[in-house]
Amino acid sequence: MPSFAPEKPVLTQRIPTFPWADPKARKVVSYDEYARTGGYAGLRKAISMAPEALVEAVKDSQLRGRGGAGFPTGLKWTFLPKYDGGQRYLAVNADESEPGTFKDRLLMDFDPHLVLEGIAIACYACRLQTAYFYIRGEYHHQARVMENAIREAYDKGVFGGNGLLGGAVTAAGEPWKVDCHLHRGAGAYICGEETALLESLEGKRGWPRNKPPFPAIKGLWGKPTIINNVETMAHLPSIVEHGAEWFKKQGVQSTIGGPPSHGTKLMGVSGHVNRPGVYECELGIPLRQLVDEYCGGMRNGKRYKGAIAGGISTGILGPDQFDAEMDFDIGRKYNVLGLGTACPTVFDEDTDMVGVARNIARFFKHESCGQCTPCREGSQWLFKLLTRIEEGDARTKDLDLTLEIATSMGAMPGTTICGLADGNNWAVRTIMNKYWDEFESRVKPTYIPVTMSVGAGVR
Amino acid sequence: MAWIAKPSSTMRVDRRSEPYLTEAMRSELTSKILPRYATKQGALLPALHMVQHEHGWIPAQAMEEIGAFLGLSAAEVLDCASFYEEYWLKPKGRHVVAVCRSIACEFCGHKQITDAVREKLGIEIGETTDDGKWTLIELECLGSCGTAPVALVDETLHENITAEQVRRLIDETRDGSHHH
Ligand SMILES: Cc1cc2nc3c(=O)[nH]c(=O)nc-3n(C[C@H](O)[C@H](O)[C@H](O)COP(=O)(O)O)c2cc1C
Ligand code: SF4
Ligand code: FES
Repeated sequence: MPSFAPEKPVLTQRIPTFPWADPKARKVVSYDEYARTGGYAGLRKAISMAPEALVEAVKDSQLRGRGGAGFPTGLKWTFLPKYDGGQRYLAVNADESEPGTFKDRLLMDFDPHLVLEGIAIACYACRLQTAYFYIRGEYHHQARVMENAIREAYDKGVFGGNGLLGGAVTAAGEPWKVDCHLHRGAGAYICGEETALLESLEGKRGWPRNKPPFPAIKGLWGKPTIINNVETMAHLPSIVEHGAEWFKKQGVQSTIGGPPSHGTKLMGVSGHVNRPGVYECELGIPLRQLVDEYCGGMRNGKRYKGAIAGGISTGILGPDQFDAEMDFDIGRKYNVLGLGTACPTVFDEDTDMVGVARNIARFFKHESCGQCTPCREGSQWLFKLLTRIEEGDARTKDLDLTLEIATSMGAMPGTTICGLADGNNWAVRTIMNKYWDEFESRVKPTYIPVTMSVGAGVR
Repeated sequence: MAWIAKPSSTMRVDRRSEPYLTEAMRSELTSKILPRYATKQGALLPALHMVQHEHGWIPAQAMEEIGAFLGLSAAEVLDCASFYEEYWLKPKGRHVVAVCRSIACEFCGHKQITDAVREKLGIEIGETTDDGKWTLIELECLGSCGTAPVALVDETLHENITAEQVRRLIDETRDGSHHH
């Protein structure tokens, strides 16, 4: 077994995946097959428990959100106001548009009921009556698979009419009924940002909202709303079934005094490796082992040069950071924004890092929603400058200007509404800093020594 | 791209007597879609998808009709529709090749795919062939980076695509067929 492989796959237990099974054998798991292979046992156990006990169990597991920020899921759930019988919502984030990221798709492609079971558990635990599955517009096939699975789940009584699995009841003895609807996005990266996602669900442009108020207090149509990633949902059935202690046996403790990184994680590796793809490993696996033991090493025998940590927003792991551990400490230890989606894009020695920075700057320029001046204008400038550097038309002082613009934009410097600009900031800044020589060799010196002859030579 | 100013002040509205939002669409919206949302506006994205699926793009008259149906002004519909890249507010070809240009695809050779299409069809990115059959665009990450380079042809994703394959795909696509 390769390092950091869980004893048995958790999220991919029904999706044939290396090293346990051959990915060629993958097919959509139907409701019947899912139920026959132990599916919906987590939900069945969940509805025999009090909702509060479930929230406690998820809190105890220290599960951290798989959508990018790593926020503790149980803690997020406790931000909901006390249940007063009013409408409240779950929005499942299936927007998956962060370049380099293709892991939620695996679950939607092949094991949709794992996600739906997680959704039902979350709705019961948090007392949410309606779940929206917000899926990016380009996922045509995945939308069809999920639609079918949702229909099956209604037919089998997981959702709708008679209450979850026909069994759950409210405090008043009424059936606890949950609805689940799929909502297709329409090609806008920003709609993965949680409040933009809510705006988009309401039928508006995907403009992120100012926070506070946070969505748990005032979310969709002003009602309390929980937003969680697809993979986060997929972890819930096994946590409920096997308990928090089981979950905490996987993954690693923080080595820098931070919160731990428990559980397995879907890691989608792309770029210059022999076997790119999605692998399920325990958090904490060093990138080198992920590449060597799961992906069959670097392609064409080339040397590793760098890797986007987990989606372009996180920035880059440099040439000397191949051993970086893929866990939630990675940001502080290796000067990247964070683990992000844990989907690294790996580059070999022939890669032009100026081109990498330009590609990323172009993405953010294209996807900025335009509300905040530093993001809208800054992203344009970064792209122009990096294009100029790439084409050899820039001067040394342009490097400083590029860094200055990048550093000034984002919710962390406090100049923008949302984190899109922070992603741009971190990506451009870390690539420039970690490959400075490459950038410097592409620009002309700012002060060009000139020889001048004065007097007789002047005509 | 989402923040480019909308052309509402200068937009000419071509009209036809037959509505774009058909009776069938209205009844599906009423019976299936509207009950899912707390407000009528919630059904706006699904309604736009519906019209585009049927007509290939979303004419201004269709936006007016959707607005009237959902109790929104035409401007509110345009405000939303113009934000999303997937909605075509101008006609496109009967088929669309969309090559991914984001990080994994660019560094695994997306340019050869785009160039193959450009040369094969004699059009640049963003253009449509004279016979109205093909439009070529590039999109950002399509969520399939492990099989880069990838291209979406209509609604079907082609993974690990080669220049040879994309040329063949173009040859083999007949009008009336739709890539699902
Ligand atoms: C610009 C931007 C794009 C984002 N895109 C996604 C996305 O595609 N999918 C996702 O799950 N989270 C995305 N997020 C994070 C969400 O805002 C949110 O934190 C997450 O969905 C919460 O789920 P989790 O706690 O289960 O991780 C994005 C955030 C930002 C700032
Ligand atoms: S930071 Fe950028 S994407 Fe986010 S709200 Fe501001 S302009 Fe929009
Ligand atoms: S970069 Fe092309 S699919 Fe992700």
